[in-house]
Amino acid sequence: MSTSNANFKNKCVTQVNCVFCDSLLCTRGMKAVLLADTEVELFSTDIPPNRTVDFVASCYTTESCKCKLRDIACLKCGNVVGYHVVAPCKPCLLSCNNGHFWMFNSDAVSTLNRLDVTGLNLLLWGDLPELEDSENEESETPSEEECISTSVLYLIFHL
Amino acid sequence: MAVVLENGVLTFSVYKWSSYSSTYLPENILVDKPNDQSSRWSSESNYPPQFLVLKMERPAVVQSITFGKYEKTHVCNLKKFKVFGGMSEENMTELLSSGLKNDYNKETFTLKHKIDEQMFPCRFVKIVPLMSWGPSFNFSIWYIELHGIEDPDVVQPCLNWYSKYREQEAIRLCLKHFRQHNYTEAFESLQKKTRIALEHPMLTHLHDRLVLQGDFDACEELIDKAVRDGLFNHYISQQEYKPRWSQIIPKCNKGTGIPEINRDDINGDGDDNRPGMRGGHQMVIDVQTETVYLFGGWDGTQDLADFWAYSVQDNQWACISRDTEKEKGPSARSCHKMCIDSHRHQIYTLGRYLDSSVRNSKSLKSDFFCYDIDANTWTLLSEDTSADGGPKLVFDHQMCMDSEKHMIYTFGGRILTCNGSVEDARTSEPQFSGLYAYHCQDRTWSLLREDSCNAGPEDIQSRIGHCMLFHTRNRCLYVFGGQRSKTYLNDFFSYDVDGDHVEIISDGTKKDSGMVPMTGFTQRATIDPELNEIHVLSGLSKDKDKREENVRNSFWIYDIARNNWSCVYKNDQAAKDNPSKALQEEEPCPRFAHQLVYDEMHKVHYLFGGNPGKSCSPKMRLDDFWSLKLCRPSKEYLLRHCRYLIRKYRFEEKAQSEPITALKYLQNDLSLTVDHTDPGETQEFQLLPSALFKSGSDFIPLGFSDVDQTYAQRTQLFDTLVNFFPDSMTPPKGNLVDLITL
Repeated sequence: MSTSNANFKNKCVTQVNCVFCDSLLCTRGMKAVLLADTEVELFSTDIPPNRTVDFVASCYTTESCKCKLRDIACLKCGNVVGYHVVAPCKPCLLSCNNGHFWMFNSDAVSTLNRLDVTGLNLLLWGDLPELEDSENEESETPSEEECISTSVLYLIFHL
Repeated sequence: MAVVLENGVLTFSVYKWSSYSSTYLPENILVDKPNDQSSRWSSESNYPPQFLVLKMERPAVVQSITFGKYEKTHVCNLKKFKVFGGMSEENMTELLSSGLKNDYNKETFTLKHKIDEQMFPCRFVKIVPLMSWGPSFNFSIWYIELHGIEDPDVVQPCLNWYSKYREQEAIRLCLKHFRQHNYTEAFESLQKKTRIALEHPMLTHLHDRLVLQGDFDACEELIDKAVRDGLFNHYISQQEYKPRWSQIIPKCNKGTGIPEINRDDINGDGDDNRPGMRGGHQMVIDVQTETVYLFGGWDGTQDLADFWAYSVQDNQWACISRDTEKEKGPSARSCHKMCIDSHRHQIYTLGRYLDSSVRNSKSLKSDFFCYDIDANTWTLLSEDTSADGGPKLVFDHQMCMDSEKHMIYTFGGRILTCNGSVEDARTSEPQFSGLYAYHCQDRTWSLLREDSCNAGPEDIQSRIGHCMLFHTRNRCLYVFGGQRSKTYLNDFFSYDVDGDHVEIISDGTKKDSGMVPMTGFTQRATIDPELNEIHVLSGLSKDKDKREENVRNSFWIYDIARNNWSCVYKNDQAAKDNPSKALQEEEPCPRFAHQLVYDEMHKVHYLFGGNPGKSCSPKMRLDDFWSLKLCRPSKEYLLRHCRYLIRKYRFEEKAQSEPITALKYLQNDLSLTVDHTDPGETQEFQLLPSALFKSGSDFIPLGFSDVDQTYAQRTQLFDTLVNFFPDSMTPPKGNLVDLITL
């Protein structure tokens, strides 16, 4: 499992801004839904956002799974904009996920689809350079739903 | 009679600000909209200085400030801030230094608004955020309300007084300057014109004798009188304590015969006069009779049921009972708790530790006993307190007595469970007991707080191995320290027993290590309601891994009124590196499972036994007995010190002109004021003769004045001596020349 998963290559890369103070949070966003609750729409990203967010309060877990989560807030206005998966739980790790650790709540951010260098086409995740080569041990059963769980791989965490 | 002054909401505008970000404009603080995240001022950065300056519509006495907040916790809330105020922007004094809780409750703080009991007005109020709850986040203020008095009839006289006060202090600074520089005419004419006193007449007298006349004997007499009149008491009260440990060697009472000793239990012959080695015992003190009671414990192999009384006056232990169980009292036990009702001469004991091998539904009952000191009888109050609505069987809990209302409070402790029983997996999770009150008269229990993970502002987290103390004057329980499983807790809260209200003193998130007692160490605490102080002796960590590197004792004092901790002493690593006998004779070795009690009437602590935590001899327990007194410099010490300062100066002055007489003076008069057993003082004394060979060329003349070296140095000595007097008597501390900036 990794970002190279074919499921995610055709997804648009979005720019994510704080809905409260409009500061730029991340330029590598991906629209996704929670595996645990497909009603919940999120934007996720793979690299820790650089000096745009920081942790607030301490770790917690939700009722859906045993992933250890910690809320993140916009560094400029301090409002909670999403969460980071500090330690994913086993069921989430084993299920199909996009390998992203950092989640933005859709009601806390405004987003914009990015364009590629030509300025004519939408920029897709497949166009982005790979972050890390991790072997694709086995191809996942492709799911209809673009799904992510609340977790991501440890490998990426240790980047 | 004083008129009750109307404390109204004051009108102000936001006058200046350091920065703001996005739409978080400074004027947002004028409206209170807790449900709107955007209704706040937020700084652009958290790089200092960040501030808001508020301008009052008209000069007002600003008595309090209220901070509104967002409906949820927010990282931008101010964890630390200061408030300044004054009549002009350039000249403001600090009115408050505090912090907000990270919650949704409005908080109101009293601002300093009086000098010498006289109210002063402000035109400007400056709020300076220093730290937000999330260290990397900007500062936000949601809403500000200022309360005070703006009625001109009240404020105008304050303004008049304030301007007069400033003028007066300016004149005093001038007077001080003129005298220091010997501008006698200027000094006299200014004093004549204004009739403002530079200092108390007694100090003028001292100045006259010391600086002008050089009559040192008269100076010594004046200081001697000042000390006798208690003028140095305030200075003494501001000094730090020094601990004085001394080992108590009780009198051996062999042959005097205590009637009720059960001689069957005694193996050795030296052991029957005092309690043997143990840890996990309990001690209480009856301050009226100066008697320390000790019961039970673990001697390294078994639980104990012996019961002792130590009389401070007789310096002697008496065994009340070799086995309390035989006298219808509690069975042998350890890790129980005991408290004393000094009014009614009764001692209560609750809880115990039971090894898992002996736990069963019968043994897990929480029995509760009361010992009547006068009648020398035990009463079983309850076979099982949990059946009466009280705590289940617990150990390492805390118990406090409220003699005034005849109540007992018990909090925390781990609940002992039968691990043999086939219950769900949850029983393996440790369970902790809540806060209970026991009504002694009715013999009824009530649960005040369940164990909750500090979920709400009134919730408290149960624990073991913590400290809990009852303040008999403000009627609050103070709780801090302890642990839950492997987590050491470092929060600190009080519980108002009459108001049923929890007040968080520190949530423990502050990382000022070294400024508060370290957690993870066995702490034994006592309280002095009269001095309004909590004392904490921090010993050894129970955690074996932490132990080796951190063997140390430290003693801390918490000043309840000022809300600050100070460390009275730490025995550092050297003690461990050099395990000389000397240290062990000077103070008790670090330990855990010991007991510390405090006699607040005579201001003495008593410590007994415990586990020294020696990995090589795990069964070793201690039976040493210590007293601890916290001492401040005495009047006698200060008097001697002042005499030393005066004589030292007198010698130095003499050394310039008559070296031979000076040497004699050094050997006789000056030497008398030195404590030759003190290495520091001795060393300083030995360096003094060098003054005989020094020329006085290092004197820098004071500008335009004709002040000579003698006058300047005598003035310096005068300023030193003046420091021991209360501020109300002394000249201003500052110097006029220091106002000149380059």
